[in-house]
Amino acid sequence: MEGFLPLQWCIVWWIVALPCLMIGLYQLKKILAADREALPLLGVTGGFIFILSSLKLPSVTGSCSHPTGTGLSTISFGPWITSVICAIVLLFQSLFLAHGGLSVLGANIVSMGIVGPLVGYAVYRMLRDTSVNMYLTVFLVTAIADMFTYATTSLELALAYPAETGGFVSSFVLFMGIFAITQIPLAIVEGLVLALVFKYIVALKPDILIRLKIFSEDKINAARDGAS
Amino acid sequence: MKFKYTLEAITIIAIVAFSGLFLYTSSTMAGAEFAGSDNAGSRLIAELAGKPLENFQPLIPQWEPPSGEIESCLFALQAAVGGILVGGVFGFWIGSKKKA
Repeated sequence: MEGFLPLQWCIVWWIVALPCLMIGLYQLKKILAADREALPLLGVTGGFIFILSSLKLPSVTGSCSHPTGTGLSTISFGPWITSVICAIVLLFQSLFLAHGGLSVLGANIVSMGIVGPLVGYAVYRMLRDTSVNMYLTVFLVTAIADMFTYATTSLELALAYPAETGGFVSSFVLFMGIFAITQIPLAIVEGLVLALVFKYIVALKPDILIRLKIFSEDKINAARDGAS
Repeated sequence: MKFKYTLEAITIIAIVAFSGLFLYTSSTMAGAEFAGSDNAGSRLIAELAGKPLENFQPLIPQWEPPSGEIESCLFALQAAVGGILVGGVFGFWIGSKKKA
């Protein structure tokens, strides 16, 4: 939301966002040079960020919000490359849709492209080598990345606008009430949809998932045999 | 034979439940306008800052879609780009699998 974040906070979040984008661009160059077949996977995972973040879905609170769609890309390429894709989407939305804006772009990249995916990635790394079902992992990573995106937005706003009584904490609770509660059902549906997409990627192109070491060969083969 | 479409079934049920929930809330909540949660957020910001909403002007001048139609057109365009990417790659994978 252009204009709603004071200038000093815009600058702070830009400073946080820029190094992450640099890492992302560097990793992107490296991975595409190493494996040309990573490009189609990047197209699919990035494509879903484009599609899902353009949908404004109604929720139980009587307002609408966007899913983020960052889960698949986080699992496949990690949080930094995901930030780059998010930056592209967010730039498009700030330039042509008055959704976000150039001054708050840094803050939006931090919430959608960095904190959300980073937390999602942590969940993925914790579950990857356990016996937890692969699709359940994708579901959890996606839903959690989505929720943390909006928790971060609430945090960014609460830091800029602490309440007179209760300060930062009470305004964080208020913003969470608006953003996070609206987001819960969306995060669940989003998680399921991306888990389903992942199932089709496993069915069509298991070799790229194995080569990029996204899940172990055993797990992928087991999933293909079982086809849950 | 084992049932192969558990995940599909769960997803469809969730989407139907989600839509049902929407129909229910939209018919029972009189005040629900289904605007963006951004709008509710901006109202809260104005309240916390103690300034009227109109005082929040973009820091960097910004082009705004002149109408809701144009805005939805641009959103559809964004989704279309994503759709082309996804469909294109899945098609490419199916094609290369058939060849092999």
